[in-house]
Amino acid sequence: MESAIEVTDLTKHYGSITAVDGLTFRVARGEFFGLLGPNGAGKTTTIRMLTGLTKPTSGSAKVGGRDCIKESLAVKQKIGVVSEVSNLYNEMSAWDNLMFIGELYGVDKLTRRARAKQLLEAFQLYDRRNDHLLGYSKGMKRRVRIAAALLHSPEVLFLDEPTSGLDVQSSRLIRSIIRELNREGVTVFLTTHYIDEADQLCDRVAIIRQGKIVVEGSPERLKSSLQGEHVVEVAFDRDESSVEMFLRADPNVKEVSKQGDKYQIRTGSPSATIQRVSQFAASNGFEIVTMNTKQPSLEDVFVKCTGLDAVQVERMEFLRAAKGGGQRG
Amino acid sequence: MVNVVDTLSNPPSKSFSGVVGRIACIAKKDARIYYFKPQILGFGILIPAFVYLSFSLGRVIPSDLLIPGLVGMVSLFGASSVEAISVAIEKQTETYELLQVAPVSTTTIVLGKSLAGSAFGIMLSLVTAVGAVVLTGAQIANPFLFAIATIVGAFAFSALGMLFAAAVKDMPTANMSLTALRLPMIFISGVFVPVHALPLPLRVVSFLTPLTYLVDALTGAMTAPSIQLAIDLAVLLTWVVLLQALAVFMLNKKTQF
Repeated sequence: MESAIEVTDLTKHYGSITAVDGLTFRVARGEFFGLLGPNGAGKTTTIRMLTGLTKPTSGSAKVGGRDCIKESLAVKQKIGVVSEVSNLYNEMSAWDNLMFIGELYGVDKLTRRARAKQLLEAFQLYDRRNDHLLGYSKGMKRRVRIAAALLHSPEVLFLDEPTSGLDVQSSRLIRSIIRELNREGVTVFLTTHYIDEADQLCDRVAIIRQGKIVVEGSPERLKSSLQGEHVVEVAFDRDESSVEMFLRADPNVKEVSKQGDKYQIRTGSPSATIQRVSQFAASNGFEIVTMNTKQPSLEDVFVKCTGLDAVQVERMEFLRAAKGGGQRG
Repeated sequence: MVNVVDTLSNPPSKSFSGVVGRIACIAKKDARIYYFKPQILGFGILIPAFVYLSFSLGRVIPSDLLIPGLVGMVSLFGASSVEAISVAIEKQTETYELLQVAPVSTTTIVLGKSLAGSAFGIMLSLVTAVGAVVLTGAQIANPFLFAIATIVGAFAFSALGMLFAAAVKDMPTANMSLTALRLPMIFISGVFVPVHALPLPLRVVSFLTPLTYLVDALTGAMTAPSIQLAIDLAVLLTWVVLLQALAVFMLNKKTQF
């Protein structure tokens, strides 16, 4: 399949610090690709290099078949960029900001007016179009920022933490519009802290740690790589210290953690653990309020990949290699 | 729902009309946002007004010394303040990144911003010149050359402001460092004291500032235009090119990290 983004051995050093270390990946045209990782993993540096904001130390990157350094203006005409900060002019209205951006991208007057109206309506901001952004909430500003990135109809949309710190309504609206854009054929490159968001939206994700991709694949494929791990979640009618001691004593149990009033039990044998928990409750007069098994989530994959446990990271790298090098289009 | 895959016929960002359109677009935006900022009023208008009043009150200054010096100083403070403030604010609020991710080169950005700063300096200078002529009854021998010198000078000072703002981290530092350069500059560039009356070391330094050439060119245009005026304009144009190129270099160096 034709590539929208092609990155080869991309590296960025800041003095003695290596922010991005030999990244190689491809994003197919029309694909929804997510780059996940903890703070400082190299996500933003990667997006900055792909969008012409930062010069790589070495390696190459192409967007839409054009070299990001040698043909940066041609690349910039094809892409829309939404940075983590809603960096628009607070002294101007949403409408005037969009008109400015449209003019900057060379969109003719009639088209930019029509596009601005269409986008502000989609983002539910048309009624407030003449208000200065100074009076907008964070969620509203982010919506205008995304609308501004779409005004020139980009082929590839780069989103750096688009819903970070936003209210539920704005986040849901943004996700729904991004999904719709992708269905219409726009390639989306997303970085996010919200693993569930990536799970819901992305066709494929890569997890980056210390500037290197440690695993890459579709969310379901990555989750299935953890099939040996199961979680039993149980809540009792009352809480006593003996409960946790009992749960930890099970030889099948690898880890017990408490989340709210529920115990999360990571076990190698869910059926044996469920049986043991039921017997314990019956013989000690506890009532089980809820008990269910959970499939591994993308967050579990993320924790595995980005935690400091070298053994876990090695395992994911093994899985990546087993998938054929992990570099797929 | 959004229908973003419409094919738009955006003009190529490298074509002449595309570049000119983008320069004008950036200049219009800067004029709209920054001309009325309180910092512009303070650093661009009030400081030069107070400095001039404090050195001229009680003294009888001939109009051929007063008008070029006053106009030169107003141009220096006005043109350099707009872009020093604009670039510093945009770096701080990250709106400068909006320009960086757009299909425009750093040279286009600098020219657009420079146009906005220069236009502000030119307007202030011309208003000052007209006011001074009306109040003193002085004559300008060649108003056309006077206007040309004002325009070229404003472009040089606008680039100077941008260069300072590009080099530092925030707006207060940009303004303070720029003021620290502008104040001594006005004392050695013929604004208050003719250059030929300065001690030799200061006279040598005065030839290194663009303001000296602007004041000299304005004086020439007011009195008797000569070859000296042409030389002044040529040196000012060289300053414009040099400062714009340095501003492009500094912005690239400080923002593409």
